[in-house]
Amino acid sequence: MNGKRLILLAIVVLLAVAPMASARIKLVALPERAATVIRLDNPNATLIEEERVLTLQKGLNKVDFSWKGVQIDEDSIRLDVLDHPEGVNLLSVSYPPDEAALVWEISSGGNYAETVRISYLLRNIDRLITYKAIADKAETQVGLRSYLVLRNFSGEDFEKARVLLDYGEAFEQGIDHEETKRMLFLKAPKVPIRKIWTFDAAQLPWDPERLENQNVGIPVSYRIVNDAASGLGQFAMWGGKARIFQDDGHESTIFLGEDNAPLVPVGEKMELYIGDSRDIVVTQRKMKDTRINLRKNDAGRIVLYDTDELITAKIENFKDSPATLTMIQHIEGQWDMKKCNLECKRKDASTLEFEIELPARTEEGPAVKELSMHYHRRNVRTR
Amino acid sequence: MKRRFAFFAILGLAACAYGKVDLVTLPVRDAVQLTIYNSADLTLARERRTLTFAEGANALQFSWANTLSDPTSLEMLPRGHAAEIDIAELVFPPRTRNLGLWNINSEVSGKVPVEISYLTSGLSWRAFYMGTLAPDEKTMRLQAYVRVTNNSGEDYENAQVRLIVGKVHLLDEIAQLARRPHAYGSPIQRVGDDWLAGRAVKKELEVRLNLEYDAMAVCDAPMDAKQIIKEGLSEYFLYTIEGTETIPNGYSKRLLSFEVDDVPVVNLYKFEEDQYGAEVVRFLSFANDADHELGETPIPGGVLKAYRRVDDQRHLSYVGESAFKYIPVGEDVELNFGPVRDVVVEPTLMNFATDNYRFDRKGNVAGWDEQRTFEVKVRNTRDVPIQVEIRRNFETSYWTLTQGNDIGAFETVDVDTVKFTLTLPARSQKTFEYTLTTYEGTRREAWKRLAR
Repeated sequence: MNGKRLILLAIVVLLAVAPMASARIKLVALPERAATVIRLDNPNATLIEEERVLTLQKGLNKVDFSWKGVQIDEDSIRLDVLDHPEGVNLLSVSYPPDEAALVWEISSGGNYAETVRISYLLRNIDRLITYKAIADKAETQVGLRSYLVLRNFSGEDFEKARVLLDYGEAFEQGIDHEETKRMLFLKAPKVPIRKIWTFDAAQLPWDPERLENQNVGIPVSYRIVNDAASGLGQFAMWGGKARIFQDDGHESTIFLGEDNAPLVPVGEKMELYIGDSRDIVVTQRKMKDTRINLRKNDAGRIVLYDTDELITAKIENFKDSPATLTMIQHIEGQWDMKKCNLECKRKDASTLEFEIELPARTEEGPAVKELSMHYHRRNVRTR
Repeated sequence: MKRRFAFFAILGLAACAYGKVDLVTLPVRDAVQLTIYNSADLTLARERRTLTFAEGANALQFSWANTLSDPTSLEMLPRGHAAEIDIAELVFPPRTRNLGLWNINSEVSGKVPVEISYLTSGLSWRAFYMGTLAPDEKTMRLQAYVRVTNNSGEDYENAQVRLIVGKVHLLDEIAQLARRPHAYGSPIQRVGDDWLAGRAVKKELEVRLNLEYDAMAVCDAPMDAKQIIKEGLSEYFLYTIEGTETIPNGYSKRLLSFEVDDVPVVNLYKFEEDQYGAEVVRFLSFANDADHELGETPIPGGVLKAYRRVDDQRHLSYVGESAFKYIPVGEDVELNFGPVRDVVVEPTLMNFATDNYRFDRKGNVAGWDEQRTFEVKVRNTRDVPIQVEIRRNFETSYWTLTQGNDIGAFETVDVDTVKFTLTLPARSQKTFEYTLTTYEGTRREAWKRLAR
């Protein structure tokens, strides 16, 4: 702690009830903080709770709470009396003009050394969560570490405070203004992962041949489940930057990629996009698109029709290991599938999801699977 | 060697007394490993050092200057006594930059090997290729090189150099993270500063490009060939250069990645008006497989400069250059050398007719067929045999096609495109004909039956 005291507490004891003087008198006693809690359970605001012992005299006491160089939400400031809640009453709170301060008017039934808890929302002190995962060479599990990063740019030094998250034990930590501290707070050595390749026909180009000197990267993700079977599942995992590495088998690692992990409640899945695969190639083409079942008006103009559409997709795995490709296809409007050579799951009215198992490439060449979707869109109106 | 990373150990301190550094040791690097990516300005640096720990609390300060390293990536891992050493926290003290301080509790005293890793920027590599065609253009000698450039601000001596082929997903540029005034940024929003930071980045990039250009002119001396070990990891390929390399700041090194004497190639010419206009475009085609003396690993994307051997005295003619994408094992490679004039494709409309008119109840035309007969002349004026791929695009999906002769069998590419493939001997010409019938208006209703 560098000795700066930016949040001040002063007590003025008024023995007679009298109108408030226009020039405020300050500083009768300056009680030290007894215990401070930095509560970081809300990602949008940090709550500070500090305990101080006020020397109250029987009668009316005025307690002046002021701050400088810090940003306190003044509507958030609260005072709780801990020792004699029945004998000590907070009568009013007043805000002096043009000052970062407030004055509590406290009525005390006796002469007490009263412990009070002052709480307020303090800006520019927060926490981040980061993750580091090291996948094994077979990409079946990761060693997951999560770090808590405390950032204090509030203007206030905290020599020693109890830091509370929304889960886990509180811990003691001091942190100065403009200081950042990173601490390990979660270690899960063997978290099972599932590697996922995803081709979304609405997101990626269909025909790589049409792209000059560009690979179409198939997005690759690791899926982690926040549950007990994964060695997790005790609390929701906060969102934060995740960096993923892989054991290279030579007592070293390579960096696979990074992604922003979302908040993952217990039992839910986290998908971390690590990069693109250029060893799985999808070539999708529309082979037929014609109008059928034409319905005409009296003038002979077509007003309603169905379509006859054929889409083929050739999926080639150039990798020396098998892979499961999740392929997402979209058919808008009302439609019937006439023939589809691969099984799929209907995700919603216009989305189909295929899980396509791709063997590893062989000496003869890449492993190839073909999807053929022959469908009719129904009752399309002519515009 | 310019030392830009500094390591200080402060032993036996209970708290972070970074204001009063008590220097005990300055251990040198025992080994350095650089894993350099080519899809982003990113290098994973890993160094091994032997530190002397005291039993109890230890504070270790690691600082750097004139390099752009991401402080949030800083990690320390004990390589011995791991169970007895607890790395409690990493502190980025106030009002300092490029400095991290580890607070470590040790149950052992004495020397402990540790590994420190971080992500840094300024090191890069790229692949490039030289192809030398045989006089008959049936085979090509392929030489693949990698070129590693160090503009990191740090001299790396005797570093193990590893190169990553693959596209990594990054949320932030490492250089930008390195330039932040605070390691993990600040919760205070400063819009204006971001704008200034953006300008600084641009300037820096300009300087870097200049540096690389200068280095290219000065330092492109051929190196002794070293073996490069290649292996697949996840979606990446890892190239490990044999032994160690010393790459001073500002220098580049060129290393031979692989060399194959006789890769069978096909002279492929393409004609497609929708994609290339009215010109014929030359490609050189081969596959990254065993039949082509390749196929052990993917081929990283890069630029290939192609030459042709023209006589017995080993004189060369420059054919051109082509950039190409990453080629997985087993996939075909098509090198685009741009438009040529020595192969000509001339499609000519020889006949146009309409037929099969249909009328509505008011007597207006409601449907009809259009027939176009094309003659396509293909000339190879070169002294080597070639293959020509001609794609014809139609503006409708209601069409049928009949061929006038046996030359140029076609295949359907997609709903409105067909492809004719021809092989032409040296200095030869071929002509083929086809008739395209398109169905308009109500005649489209008959298309399904006619197209069978």
